[in-house]
Amino acid sequence: MGRITRRYGFTIAGIAIGVAGIVALGAMGERIVRFIEGGDRFVLGQISVAGKGMGMGAGFTAGGMLPASAIRAIAAVPGVSGVQAQVMLPLNPSTSQFMTLTQELILGVDLSVPSPNRQFPTLPIREGRQLRAGDRGVAVVGASFATSHGLRVGSALTLEGEAYRVVGVLERTLTAPDRFVMVAIEDARRQWVAKDRMLRTIIASGAAAVNAADLNTGAAVGWRDGEDPDAVARRITERVEGVNVQIPSELSALLRSSTAFFSALLGGIGALAFVIGGLSLANTIAAAVFERLRDFGVKRALGATDWQLGREVLAEALAVTLSGGAVGVALAILLGASVDRWAARSGQQLFLFSGRLLGGALVFSVLLGAAAAAYATLRVVRLSPAEAIRRGA
Amino acid sequence: MLEARGLVKAYATPRGKPPLRVLDGVDLCVAGGRLAVVLGASGSGKSTLLNVVGLLEDADAGEVTLGGERVSALGRSARSRARGRYVGFVFQSFLLLPSLTALDNVLLAARYAGRAGADARRRARDLLAQFGVLERQAHYPPQLSGGEQQRVAFCRAVLNDPPVLLADEPTGNLDDANGRVILDALRARARAGAAVVVVSHRADAAGGADAVYRMRDGRLESERAVHQGGTR
Repeated sequence: MGRITRRYGFTIAGIAIGVAGIVALGAMGERIVRFIEGGDRFVLGQISVAGKGMGMGAGFTAGGMLPASAIRAIAAVPGVSGVQAQVMLPLNPSTSQFMTLTQELILGVDLSVPSPNRQFPTLPIREGRQLRAGDRGVAVVGASFATSHGLRVGSALTLEGEAYRVVGVLERTLTAPDRFVMVAIEDARRQWVAKDRMLRTIIASGAAAVNAADLNTGAAVGWRDGEDPDAVARRITERVEGVNVQIPSELSALLRSSTAFFSALLGGIGALAFVIGGLSLANTIAAAVFERLRDFGVKRALGATDWQLGREVLAEALAVTLSGGAVGVALAILLGASVDRWAARSGQQLFLFSGRLLGGALVFSVLLGAAAAAYATLRVVRLSPAEAIRRGA
Repeated sequence: MLEARGLVKAYATPRGKPPLRVLDGVDLCVAGGRLAVVLGASGSGKSTLLNVVGLLEDADAGEVTLGGERVSALGRSARSRARGRYVGFVFQSFLLLPSLTALDNVLLAARYAGRAGADARRRARDLLAQFGVLERQAHYPPQLSGGEQQRVAFCRAVLNDPPVLLADEPTGNLDDANGRVILDALRARARAGAAVVVVSHRADAAGGADAVYRMRDGRLESERAVHQGGTR
């Protein structure tokens, strides 16, 4: 391998640059795919219900208030296995509530009820602990939120003037929870009142009878085993007044269509990366073979058969593409890590170097290198040894 | 034994001009133990003749027999194997592989003949020692002088002890002293039983030859036959 590296230094460098380009762009694509897939898994794991109309609720609970009576009514619908009241608010109400892909959110959950989400019964904790029933004034924060706000377990966090202590940091999921601040629903309700001037005015005027338990922006609803979640969701719509029920499959389709632009962009970038990187790789390998035309002519003059020559070229091409591929992968990871270190200051991660991406890039480069080498070899062996020596001189 | 009959070779020319007929019905027969020298001006077709009889290039017509086997009728791979079995080449520009050491260059010939191993390595070293370049065995071609490179190339050509040795202007890039070493070595190979053909534009290459030919207008004319029974 050392001999190969010395002889083909520039070829390996050329391949490495092509592969690094493919891997880096692929890693950005993987990052977006993970985000979309994570969101899809989440919405397919529960039925999301919000109050009818408009309100402070954000994300999948966007809508009007969902009173305690509605929560009880939903729980009584046949096929429902559990209902968890939730309050989901934008951390900073001055930013658009529709920018949910990057928005930081406060998620208050009723800790007396287990999460009904089948895909995420609990979110994985990297440090500290989960929220427990009875917790007040404590928060579990998402990985990006922790990074961008410089938080870790034991850190103090101030929300709307109230002091919270961070008791847990979630594993990085590369989806929405990375930007969550999770608190008990009672704490989230206070946050809501503090953020929503109109709500404060209504409560203070006594114009509407609002109990604390009514202050929910939505609920996560689970279904019993064997039930069709879409059917259960439609049943809730029919039987409970004043609710917006997200049909899981429809929400999944909506999420996918809303990210269709990113998916198309991603597909385009990926295809471009494969074409440019692939052409660069194939051209580099073919050029490396053609550069040695005279050597091949000499070898054939010494008695090398097409098969012996082809085997030699293929073995060298594989060694060169593997070396170039490995260096390219390392380069891309280095580049991605550098950019992500910079991006982490704002809680972002732009690259995801998944196993399938790295393995795929290596397999792709080796196959393409072998194909390019085979093509070049076929062209070379078609020449007579004398012609190869003449042209290569 | 090398035997070529009725060799014809023409090269295409640009703009629809008639093909350039470089070999025009050439016959050449060199028995084992004989040295034949083909003289001629540059472009006269000497190298083409050598390429065709050495199976480096196809003739348009005619046939080549090496060691009693009609090799010009063989397929591409079989011809490659025949080349490795019957023929050793010495080229004017040495044609050593720059990425291999002197020893590895010599061993290439054994590798493709399926004879690579300790015996081949020992013989390669013996040959390098015989030609005074053993101490340069680990050097790469660019680190060797022209004379040293040609001696290494000669060792490569004779490693498999081929019955036919073809040399194309073997002294063309050498000084007189190194040229003499190579010509002496070629004569020695002939004395050892090989059929040796040298093409050159220099008349002094014909010294000690059993037969001397001249290429002119695509035809081979005999200038001198020292041992009539061996060459014609």
